[in-house]
Amino acid sequence: MNILEMNNITKSFFGVTVLNKVNFEVEQGEIHALLGENGAGKSTLMNILGGIHPKDRESGAIIFDGMPMENISIKSSEAAGVAFVHQELNVINDLKVYENLFLNKEIINKVRKLNKKEMIRQTTDLFISLGVDIDPNEMVSNLDTSKKQLLEIAKALHAEQKLFILDEPTTALNNEQINHLFGIIRRLKAAGKSFVFISHKMPEIFEIADRYTILRNGDYIATGWIKNTTPEEVTRQMVGESYANTEVYETRVLGEPILEIENLSGDGFHNIDLSIKKGEVVGFTGLQGAGSSDLMQCIFGVKEAKSGKLKVFGKTIKHGSIHKSMKNKVAMLAANRKENSVIPDMSLLENTYIAEHCLSSRKPHIFVKKEIAKYENLKSMLNIKANNYNDLILSLSGGNQQKIILGRWLNIEAEILLLDNPTQGIDVGAKAEIYKLILELSKQGKTLIVNTLEIPEIQKVADRCIVFYHGGIQAILNREEISEEKVMLFATNTIVKQEREVKHVQ
Amino acid sequence: MSNNKMGKVKSILGEIWQRYNFILIFIVIFAVFLIINGNATTLTTLMNIPRHSTVIGIIALGMGIIILTGGIDLSVGSQLVLIGGLTVMVFNMTNNIFLCMLFAIAMGAILGLFNGLLIGMFNMPPFIVTLATMLMFRSIAQTVMNSNNWTIYQLNAKLTGWKTLWTLGNAYVPGTKIPILVVILVCVVIVMTYITTSTKFGKKIYAIGSNEKAAQLSGINVNVSRVVVYMLAGILIGFATFLYVANVGSVDPATSGKNYELYAIAGVVIGGISMSGGKGRVLGIVFGSMSFTLIDKIITALGVNPLINDTIKGAILLLAIAVQMLPEVTKRFNLKKAKDITEETEERGV
Repeated sequence: MNILEMNNITKSFFGVTVLNKVNFEVEQGEIHALLGENGAGKSTLMNILGGIHPKDRESGAIIFDGMPMENISIKSSEAAGVAFVHQELNVINDLKVYENLFLNKEIINKVRKLNKKEMIRQTTDLFISLGVDIDPNEMVSNLDTSKKQLLEIAKALHAEQKLFILDEPTTALNNEQINHLFGIIRRLKAAGKSFVFISHKMPEIFEIADRYTILRNGDYIATGWIKNTTPEEVTRQMVGESYANTEVYETRVLGEPILEIENLSGDGFHNIDLSIKKGEVVGFTGLQGAGSSDLMQCIFGVKEAKSGKLKVFGKTIKHGSIHKSMKNKVAMLAANRKENSVIPDMSLLENTYIAEHCLSSRKPHIFVKKEIAKYENLKSMLNIKANNYNDLILSLSGGNQQKIILGRWLNIEAEILLLDNPTQGIDVGAKAEIYKLILELSKQGKTLIVNTLEIPEIQKVADRCIVFYHGGIQAILNREEISEEKVMLFATNTIVKQEREVKHVQ
Repeated sequence: MSNNKMGKVKSILGEIWQRYNFILIFIVIFAVFLIINGNATTLTTLMNIPRHSTVIGIIALGMGIIILTGGIDLSVGSQLVLIGGLTVMVFNMTNNIFLCMLFAIAMGAILGLFNGLLIGMFNMPPFIVTLATMLMFRSIAQTVMNSNNWTIYQLNAKLTGWKTLWTLGNAYVPGTKIPILVVILVCVVIVMTYITTSTKFGKKIYAIGSNEKAAQLSGINVNVSRVVVYMLAGILIGFATFLYVANVGSVDPATSGKNYELYAIAGVVIGGISMSGGKGRVLGIVFGSMSFTLIDKIITALGVNPLINDTIKGAILLLAIAVQMLPEVTKRFNLKKAKDITEETEERGV
């Protein structure tokens, strides 16, 4: 039996069709992956179901749980039994955890006073049943992103709805947490609940989903069983004609060491020894908060080191200054593009040049024509799809925004590029292009460090993989040693423990 | 096809509206002024509009760059009083106009630096810091005046330099009907437009206001930039104060520069600069300030009670904001209408 049927749904914004006669159905008790690149229409389709946007009049029909749904509002959608976990975190930072959970559904006692005890008790019960380790009395602002995401999910599960829409629920979670979440999802599925699962991470989809539906540019492409397809096939359908096989890793001759780290300790990492050669691509990975991102920030001068040595091009750098790092040709593509990289009110040209302006601010005048010429070069080199250099950066898709930011750093002729989660929130096609760029840049002699939680990314591009655990380096793997399983064993400290036990026996 | 074209035209019109609505607001107020003033309008009355906007206009330009970085300065009126009072003293002691100007500018830089250091280096909230210095600066000016047994800071008209100073503040460019102050205002606007649009420092100002974190991670030293911005604003205020002294000849700590912070903010906002920073153009500030000056003139021309002045100014400010928000509101309204129509037809269908 289908819990949800959406037939022939069309939606247009100001004359632009974003959904064109899309069909989508979810069977009761199944996990249905909704797939497509950014802008394919996944979120719009779900927003129609969630009552956030109305569908076009005279288009299609929505049947939920056997009842036709019309004039959907956020409230009526909730009342019908749809729970929506949005991609953006919708928790309120200045309230406590339990207050967030009971927002608008507060339990009150006879004198209309909040029954805090009961709310906290129920929150504790819920967290125990979900296996989530959060204190109900904690302020949400004190939680890290992964806990906030778990809270967001818990909030939806707490509502005990029939259908759960999970829009990229795992972006901030580490593998352990993801496994845990999947356990919960499977349990609820066994109890007859249904799920729409939106994600860009193929391994996840193939692990958890039963069926999939693919959208491309607002068109319905296909629906099928996950067990009858492959990630490559699905990706090809998502991207369409433009998809090309981009695995172009080649062995290169590496140069002399240009980034040397000796016994470096700082906030979030300690006693790091590492030497990286010119032209090398190194993958950093580990569980969330294992220290790789902190180390990157320290190398770039965002955070100061407590002790140890950092040498770039053989020169010892003592710092805590981003500007100094940039002068030494070190650049960092920060994680969380929207928060840390994009300057929303500025044009593509200005966003590309902002870092260069900092390095050359002794000569205050801007020569626009020169800048445009160089921008156009970068644009074609990075294959950025954009119209006018004067357009705001927000008019581009996530992938193209990320390329502009990469251009910002290539523009200062950085030699060492630290890429922190470079493919965050961008679609499959753009991801492939970013890998390709990483490899191309390494061939030109640039040194790149890629920090990511997704091991397949590292396998695609890296010469070496550094696995972090609790702020230290757990393992350094050469290219042929990198496998998802092995990295996970190191990242979770499983392998080292075994070795120690062996030593004890001897 | 035609629908698409329509949409394009609409979006272009929308963009023009977004960019230039400060001129339209000015034109509307200006038209009202012309109608009320009728035959009394001469070239001199027209020239008086920018002339009487010079001091507040230059102060608003300083306020503008601060607001572009996402900050605010409530102390500009008090800075005017303190700088002005001391500048009058310097003139009376030295009889040297050039020194006077340098002193006013240096004094402005120092006061701006004081605000800037507290805000940029110690990360104190700009609203509170400048609220405090607003109280302090005016009070210092009053205390200095009082301890000298004056009731007002008055330029000594017996000094030889006085005539020249007065000429600078009140006379016209020889052979024309253009006030010297207007020429100065135009020059300052040109310089500020150049700084904000064509220099790397200008881009930094916008970047900080637009996304501070990203600006910092792009290598901008946000703290230092903030200090520089407050200092630059202080220099502009110092220069404006010098012109004020030349124009008026005296500074009264009780009344001079009163509410200037609010007028300056209003000029900036009517000029189309976003209060959260990062968006807007310096040219708008001048028109915003002139719009406000015009309201004064309209009230004078109407001969109504001048006490009602601020009520009308406040109302115009609200109106200007409403007009600027028009595209956003109509967008929402259209969406809602579309939704209503959907509901209607669906109801009929059922």
